[in-house]
Amino acid sequence: MTLLSHARSAAPAGGTATGADETALPLTAAQQGMWYAQALDPLSPAQNTAECLVVDGPLDPVVFDEALRRVVAETDALRVRIEDTPQGPRQVLRRTVEAPPAVRDLRRGDVPAAEREAEAWMRADLAEPCDLAAGPLFRHALLRVGDHRWLWYQRVHHLVMDGYGHALLVRRTAEVYTALADGREPAPSGFRPLADLVAEEERYRSSDAFRADRDHWRSAFADRPGAPRLAGRDALPARTFHRSTARLGPEATRRLRELADRLGATWPDLLIAAQALYTSRATLREEVVLGVPMMGRMGSAALRIPGMVMNVLPLRLTVRPGDSFAELVRQVVLGVRGIRGHQRYRYEDIRRDLGLLGEGRGLVGPLVNAMPFDYGVELAGTPVAARNLSAGPVEDMTVNIHDRADGRGLCVDHDGNPALYSAAELAAHQQRFLGLLDRLTEADPHRPQSDHSIATPAEEALVVEEFNRTDHAVPATTLIGPIEAQAARTPRATALVHGATTLTYAQLDARANRLARYLGTRGAGPGAVVAVCLPRSADLVVTLLAVLKAGAAYLPLDPDHPAARLALMLEDAAPVCAVTDHADRLPGEAGTPRVVLAELAEEALAAHPPVPPPRPLTPSHPAYVIYTSGSTGRPKGVVVPHGAIDNRLRWMQHAFPLTGEDRVLQKTPTSFDVSVWEFFWPLREGAALVVLEPGGHRDPVRLAGTIRQERVTVCHFVPSMLQAFLSEPQAAECGGLRRVFCSGEALPRQTARACARALPDVELHNLYGPTEAAVDVTHHACAPDGDGPVPIGRPVWNTRVYVLDAALRPCPPGVPGELYLAGRQLADGYLNRPELTAERFVRAPAPNATPEHGRPPEARMYRTGDLARWTADGELMYLGRTDDQVKLRGQRVELGEVEAALAARPGVTGACAVVREDRPGAQQLVGYVTGGADPQAVRAALAGELPEQLVPSAVVALPEFPLGPSGKLDRRALPAPVFGAEADDVRQPSGPREEALVRLFSEVLDVARVGPDDAFFDLGGTSLLAVRLVARIREELGAEPAVGALFEAPTPAALAARLQEPAPGAGDALEVVLPLRASGHRPPLFAIHPAGGLAWCYAGLAARLGPDQPVYGIQARGFATGEPLPGSLQEQAADYADRIRALQPRGPYRLLGWSVGGVLAHTVAVLLQEGGAQVDLLALLDAFPAEQWRQRPAPEEGDALTAVLRMAGVDRTTERDRADVLAALSRAGSPLAGLGDRTLERIVDVVPHHARSMREHRHRVHTGDVLFFTAAAPRAEDWLTHRAWQPHVTGAVENHDLDCTHPRLLRGAHLETVAATLADRIARLAR
Amino acid sequence: MPLTPEQIRRDVAAALGEDPADIPLDGDLVDHGLDSVRLMTLLERWRRDHGVRADFADLAETPAIEAWAPLLGAA
Repeated sequence: MTLLSHARSAAPAGGTATGADETALPLTAAQQGMWYAQALDPLSPAQNTAECLVVDGPLDPVVFDEALRRVVAETDALRVRIEDTPQGPRQVLRRTVEAPPAVRDLRRGDVPAAEREAEAWMRADLAEPCDLAAGPLFRHALLRVGDHRWLWYQRVHHLVMDGYGHALLVRRTAEVYTALADGREPAPSGFRPLADLVAEEERYRSSDAFRADRDHWRSAFADRPGAPRLAGRDALPARTFHRSTARLGPEATRRLRELADRLGATWPDLLIAAQALYTSRATLREEVVLGVPMMGRMGSAALRIPGMVMNVLPLRLTVRPGDSFAELVRQVVLGVRGIRGHQRYRYEDIRRDLGLLGEGRGLVGPLVNAMPFDYGVELAGTPVAARNLSAGPVEDMTVNIHDRADGRGLCVDHDGNPALYSAAELAAHQQRFLGLLDRLTEADPHRPQSDHSIATPAEEALVVEEFNRTDHAVPATTLIGPIEAQAARTPRATALVHGATTLTYAQLDARANRLARYLGTRGAGPGAVVAVCLPRSADLVVTLLAVLKAGAAYLPLDPDHPAARLALMLEDAAPVCAVTDHADRLPGEAGTPRVVLAELAEEALAAHPPVPPPRPLTPSHPAYVIYTSGSTGRPKGVVVPHGAIDNRLRWMQHAFPLTGEDRVLQKTPTSFDVSVWEFFWPLREGAALVVLEPGGHRDPVRLAGTIRQERVTVCHFVPSMLQAFLSEPQAAECGGLRRVFCSGEALPRQTARACARALPDVELHNLYGPTEAAVDVTHHACAPDGDGPVPIGRPVWNTRVYVLDAALRPCPPGVPGELYLAGRQLADGYLNRPELTAERFVRAPAPNATPEHGRPPEARMYRTGDLARWTADGELMYLGRTDDQVKLRGQRVELGEVEAALAARPGVTGACAVVREDRPGAQQLVGYVTGGADPQAVRAALAGELPEQLVPSAVVALPEFPLGPSGKLDRRALPAPVFGAEADDVRQPSGPREEALVRLFSEVLDVARVGPDDAFFDLGGTSLLAVRLVARIREELGAEPAVGALFEAPTPAALAARLQEPAPGAGDALEVVLPLRASGHRPPLFAIHPAGGLAWCYAGLAARLGPDQPVYGIQARGFATGEPLPGSLQEQAADYADRIRALQPRGPYRLLGWSVGGVLAHTVAVLLQEGGAQVDLLALLDAFPAEQWRQRPAPEEGDALTAVLRMAGVDRTTERDRADVLAALSRAGSPLAGLGDRTLERIVDVVPHHARSMREHRHRVHTGDVLFFTAAAPRAEDWLTHRAWQPHVTGAVENHDLDCTHPRLLRGAHLETVAATLADRIARLAR
Repeated sequence: MPLTPEQIRRDVAAALGEDPADIPLDGDLVDHGLDSVRLMTLLERWRRDHGVRADFADLAETPAIEAWAPLLGAA
């Protein structure tokens, strides 16, 4: 055994190199990808890959250890470490590597206990990050868990080994062991040197094939399709992963192989197809891009090189429910063949070429990693069973399928990023996937894919049956019947209150009955439509009741809508008559007969008896017709029958019982269907209806007043209005409320919380439903301490709700789908629009006597176009829209309707409309037009024909529409509208950190102009540059962001905010002394704050004066500690002089100040000189002595607000008061807003204070010169001149004119001039 | 029964779903859609039916029928 002793004579354990001769090789592109991934998070163990091989039988540990040592000696990749050199990373190949002894005896007691210990040991080892620079990059262990049972653990860093490489190592080790155990010398190793891999790679990268491959990928994915995400979102790769392991049984595996054979495919092709089907359904995408790891060794020397070669390639597939599974498999076969032709081009390079690096920019969805590597190995006759422990980092989800050739079927590991999937969610995905795969192998592959559901049978039963158990017997009544019954029961109770008007049930009923009988004479009756165009009033309620009593359906016409809109509805609905208060309220051209209440003689009504008219009304007659926005440019009338709304109101009374004590507020316009329950529910139950004055629903203060005075107990808010209401202090006085209902748009959790805080005794309920299903179909009670998005809840009585995928198969809980509604509350359809009705009110594909398993058992469903998902306990979460429909302030807006109106204007050649959110929380509708039309005129014209919510906030004229690579309109490339004054081209940095980061971005990226909101990866950033940037941030700012932070917060502004977040000294930026650069040998420069009191504006200057020049900002007191405002300017300056002396006990002092800061700097200079010190630099930036201001009025708070906004780089537009300004800052994401309201309030106080105290200030004389900078652009205060300083200085006033306004003095080129002039002056002082 | 180049061509064509006439004797089979899984499947069958002893890397390194014939005992 000479060989053994040779191995043992090597250097001490611990992995140091034993030989001096090392060879350095560059990394292959594959390895570089791994290296950068590791550099992003050096302490991550995610790239440890490992296998555990179970050896059941006799084994000689000494011989095995020797076999391992020999294989290490034969395998270059196991003997490298990675050195980071200035030329880039290199792999240094050592001649020998000494690894710690592999054998560990864990036998204590029973085998299971030993195996648990072994498992823990392996997990602990896997969790250790690998030091690439030190090496070794692998670890072998042979863990003895029984007398004849061993676990062979093989862990290698992914940078040097892939799955195929692992298999090569295992097979060779087995070969060597078997020979040695036999007493034979093993056959020579067939392994080729690592250098061959590097050489092959170099040849490829300089070949034509390389360029052809690059072009192929660039054009194949030029449209950058979004990656399908099963979790609905992205995350950075984590350090760990969740794994769910299961087997596809031997029988299913056999069927899988057979089906593959029949379809001319391989079993991995079928797995890819099944995953595409699953992913497409679960993400509602017809097109999915999956990641396909490729072995990458066919026809290559790499077949005999254990190393890192594998690549991941994007495979784009189109999944249509009507296509057969066989067709999908064919697509996979051809697709895989297609990508294989370009498989040497690296995945990282494809993403980089496409600009798809960074968070939220993935290229592929789940990875399907089939590993058919041959593991049928034996150790001298003892069989070995392999199990993978870690297959490398998981960005989203990876499905690893191992064919272990052990007769137990395929082993399937679902690995998931823990940031995206819980262990339970991952297991659910796996269970569904395997279930789907199993069913696919049993079914006829030529049947449509829509035969298959992705949900398990148990999940189907849950979401179809269990969550929809809403059957409840209700009597066959109408909307109006119960109101009449109630009037008979409580005739003297108060029915209606409007201002000074109060009507009892009897009075209201009598008036409505008379009018109903009159309307009957005008043609009103069951099946007819009567339009009602009245402002909110008692008459409105009387009229609505009268229409219903007559048996007709009412058509509400909002008096606030433009005449053109009203005319359209009258024309479309052709009502028998229209009731209104004034003749001129309705457009004449529609020709509808009018009933004008003001002209209706009392006698005409009095002639009719005050009892309900006879009418053959049934629950299936229409009760009302409400028009909603229509995508084709025409509004559509939804016809809702009595039975539907009756069910809705009966459920509401059951769920939230009203009593005679309740008072319900009617505030919603009649054209919005929420008004239906407001009007009629209280009148059915004996409660009082409180009618808000017209226009009052938009004014939170008036609303609060009415709620309080009228003792309202129940009311409704659109969430955005609730938020506005709650921000009024008066809202808290509305404690008389019992219940508040929200609907119309997504209810933000913070609004729900704000409601619970302001009105702790008030219940808040979130309701959901389209006009097409009688107001609301689901409900959720908000818990005061609820968390996360607010659900829209569970279905109401006799209502079924279905979340369906593209094949109309039910989605399991957690999986998004389109919401379909069924049951008693469905509308009849759209008035006079049979095609549109058929499109949205879908009928079951085929009338089945017995409901087909996995399909909703419904004959008719309303397709909402809303996206939703079920929670595990049966509540619905609203997720958005499947189409262009949007909701603005609770109102439905079809962008198509807006676009049609834009396009109809003369001079408009093309039009589109979008809802933008350029500032968080501030949604606005914006129209874009091409052609010669004046955008202002177009907008004005739309305001004359569309309801308010459909009128764009701005119309922008474009020379042409931005198009994406596919020639489709690129909505994301549409410019933000410019409001008010001309906007800045680039927002200026706010805060010293942001300023510094902007500079570092610019430096690292070598890009001249970087704005605080520019994303690193948009400017050409790469992973490598990211590493460099982080190093520079560390050097310059002393902050230590993980590189990962840059992916999540890719702009200077976002990164600055993140760097500040956890900083204990976040308030440091508010202290009196702000160290802008604390190091350097020269005497420091003290830069005194301008009027706002903060000195952040000098950060750019500090950065430009060089590393040897310390710069301290001096800031007003009270930001950090809340002290009172300083007294006189003189006292303020004395305080600053003390602070400056504390930092720098002796002169010469150097001072600078902008605006008020200049006046302060001059005063500080005088004080320091009076104390005997020397001041050798006094630089004033557009600062003027007190007497220039004295006779002028001091600015009011309004100017201070402008100043505050300017500090944040926000131009003042419509902000009226402090609250507006604070809101604007927070919308703009300004760091100022992050400082909190108190600080901002302080700034708003400080600005006018400075203006006043400056006017009272008296100057003394400074001994020396002044270096002056004038903002020389024309200004209103044309009397201001630097010469005014002459009486206050003994020396010269050296002026530099800059072509800019006062606030722009330290921006762009002007900043460079100021900095250069100062630097020059400072340099001369040093001489 | 030993393999012949024609039998190899027929088997390869069947695995790729192609007409044997379209499979060249001297061309790179990867260009015709041969991948590791198909090769592994072919190799397993040849081992079973024809006693072939070549290993995967031998065939995958030069994926062409002419190059395989001696390795598969068909030369």
